[in-house]
Amino acid sequence: MKGMKVKTDSPVTRKAREGVMEFLLVNHPLDCPICDQGGECDLQDQSMAFGSDRSRFTDNAFTGKRAVEDKNIGPLIKTIMTRCIHCTRCIRFASEVAGVDDLGTSGRGSDMQVGTYVEKMFKSELSGNVIDLCPVGALTSKPYAFTTRPWETRRIESIDVMDAVGSNIVVSMRTNEVMRILPRLNEDINEEWISDKSRFAYDGLKRQRLTTPFVRNNSGELVATDWETALFDIAQRVKDANPATIAGVAGGQADLEAMVCLKDMINRLGSEVLCTEEAFPMINSGTDFRSNYVMNTTIAGIEESDLVFLVGTNPRLEGSLVNARIRKSWVHNEMCVVLLGAPVDLSYDYQYLGDSFSVLKEIADGSHPIAKALADADKPMIILGSDAIQHNNGSLILDTVKRIAKNTKKSLNHPDWKVFNVLHRNASQVGALDMGYKPGMDSLKCDKPSLLFLLGADADKLNNDDLHGNAGVIYIGSHGDAGAQMADVVLPAAAYTEKDAMYVNTEGRAQVGRQAVSPPGMARHDWKIIRALSEILGVSLPYDKLSDVRGRLAEISPTFDRPGRVEETGFDNVSDDVTIDKITHTGATAPVVPALLKLRDFYMTDPISRSSLTMAKCVQAYDEAEANPYSKPEAI
Amino acid sequence: MASKLLVSVRQLSRLNYGSPCFTRAMSSITSATGSTDVDQKKDEHKGITISVPDKVDLSTITGVPEEHVKTRTVRIFVPAVNSMQSGTFNSRRWRMEFDERERWENPLMGWTSTGDPLSNTEVHFSSKEDAIAFCEKNGWDWFVEEQKKPKMRVKSYGANFSWDKRTRVSTK
Repeated sequence: MKGMKVKTDSPVTRKAREGVMEFLLVNHPLDCPICDQGGECDLQDQSMAFGSDRSRFTDNAFTGKRAVEDKNIGPLIKTIMTRCIHCTRCIRFASEVAGVDDLGTSGRGSDMQVGTYVEKMFKSELSGNVIDLCPVGALTSKPYAFTTRPWETRRIESIDVMDAVGSNIVVSMRTNEVMRILPRLNEDINEEWISDKSRFAYDGLKRQRLTTPFVRNNSGELVATDWETALFDIAQRVKDANPATIAGVAGGQADLEAMVCLKDMINRLGSEVLCTEEAFPMINSGTDFRSNYVMNTTIAGIEESDLVFLVGTNPRLEGSLVNARIRKSWVHNEMCVVLLGAPVDLSYDYQYLGDSFSVLKEIADGSHPIAKALADADKPMIILGSDAIQHNNGSLILDTVKRIAKNTKKSLNHPDWKVFNVLHRNASQVGALDMGYKPGMDSLKCDKPSLLFLLGADADKLNNDDLHGNAGVIYIGSHGDAGAQMADVVLPAAAYTEKDAMYVNTEGRAQVGRQAVSPPGMARHDWKIIRALSEILGVSLPYDKLSDVRGRLAEISPTFDRPGRVEETGFDNVSDDVTIDKITHTGATAPVVPALLKLRDFYMTDPISRSSLTMAKCVQAYDEAEANPYSKPEAI
Repeated sequence: MASKLLVSVRQLSRLNYGSPCFTRAMSSITSATGSTDVDQKKDEHKGITISVPDKVDLSTITGVPEEHVKTRTVRIFVPAVNSMQSGTFNSRRWRMEFDERERWENPLMGWTSTGDPLSNTEVHFSSKEDAIAFCEKNGWDWFVEEQKKPKMRVKSYGANFSWDKRTRVSTK
């Protein structure tokens, strides 16, 4: 009302607030000292700021205080439902953001209960976010329960590497241990959410770790040794190897600094064989143009789009926050989603075109109705999953999708709008390609390397048959996984929470991760290991400090020098012209299907999550939930 | 009291503050933090003009060991809001932090020890320019991480009940 005066701090206001707080606390247990939310509880704060200093609650016989049975909603979220104040934020998150209508209320008034009604697992890849949302301690983290208090921990703002989204995270550290991981607001990437793998896989950082160098002895066993022995052993192997066929492979979580050091060292040794584990077809202009392999429209750009065409991807599991963004746009902007691939549950409705390559061809020829829909759309997006182009027919799929993108661009009202996007799965992929690594290991297998450096390459895509007869394998990485198993020399390196390192996400956005804890045991930072090794091999790298390495990165690409920003890709018209119509479409191809189909596949995809007990429990809980005849099985 | 110097951040345009840049050239910022408008006015009344050399480097006289000047990188940032809570109090001012050095658990008490004298430094600034000037003055390498602000979206309560929109909410 005009002229109205609102008093926010009058005695009457304060008394009224105290009254409200009293009502809230009548049915809330006073167990702050044993509550995990204690210290970062909104109710606690409000009660301190607005509440009374004494209570009129006189139920000394303990008859009246509300008590609610705890629910079991899976291995990630601990529920203490007596603490619930019925704000229904978790329900709203589940149904509106995550798109899983699992949570709801039953009963009225003081009998109201938040829960799943029948006991079942809260099956969502974003489920952990309800812990953050909960203003009280009703929903807390099960793995984090009773471990630390927020005021004891040091908060380090870092970057997640579990997928190629590059979510911004806060790592809580105490006594040189990662205690938990929380999201950090970044509206351009992850908004305020992170996926469950990013949030809960941190216990994998304490298991299966390599804490000392190993050298394989004559009887084929890896024997723990010291750095000097291991490095000189490598020096001998390099001396024996043919310098032109020394190879390097960058794994899915390798950081920019380590990758540039490895590349410079191997180049100085006289070899050009450097590749990534994840393939990307090198047809036509291949990875020469950045616009060929990044998400050109950016993640935030999804919100501008009115039609998203997903090809061979399951964004929900490959880049959960990208999917959350598509869902947001689907809900609020009436965006259309079309999917070609496996009929997965994306948490929103989409038009399904099947998984056949011939449909893709029809769209490219313009004979399919979707071709017209793409042409009529205002800002259409085509998102190609990197998993769909891993196989032999990947180049054909890529080429066809590029043709569709080119045809779509012809009728576009917005000349600057980029249609073609790639959704990668690995945090290292875009950075490696920017740096000049060759995607995929086909060329490496042809070369039969005489010495192989694996930089955290744990995808188990190589075996000894791919190498030269007595070739040595050197593994630099954090976990005892597939890579370390086939290695002759193992050098323990730091995981992503243990180093200041940069990563480039699927949009091509370089971001700086910060060191939260020290690497365990004798493990060292990846780039320092390679720098030390280069000294012993007689090809010293000309940088001694992290800032020098970053200077070298800046020489390679200006995008590495602008952390936090997306440099718009250029030359997409040129790259289209180079790319299109250079491949003959012959023969039938296999269905365009991504690898991750069900939520079960999501939990363990990299060395850290494979070592994580929490992630293993998730898989177990998922299997139990699927076996339960009364629970709804996942679609597909 | 130490003499208040005029804050004259000259040639700001030469530095692109919008983009954090690792390989920046050493800037020619002339600065001294700590003076306010009132101080400046007072100085003007007295007719005192203090000319400051182009670049002030106090690292030789601050007493900070050389190791902790030349090898450290400062991150200038605004602390992220705690995602567990709604409050924003600690995320309003700019802060600086140094790169992490090794920590170890003290066997006696189980506390975490560090050999890094700068690890607990907590200096707040009202603007990133102040923080940059402070780092320049002390001879530290720095980079700025831009502030991440939440975007406000137009929302309507009615959308929850609209009968033909996807915003309709079924679960209560």
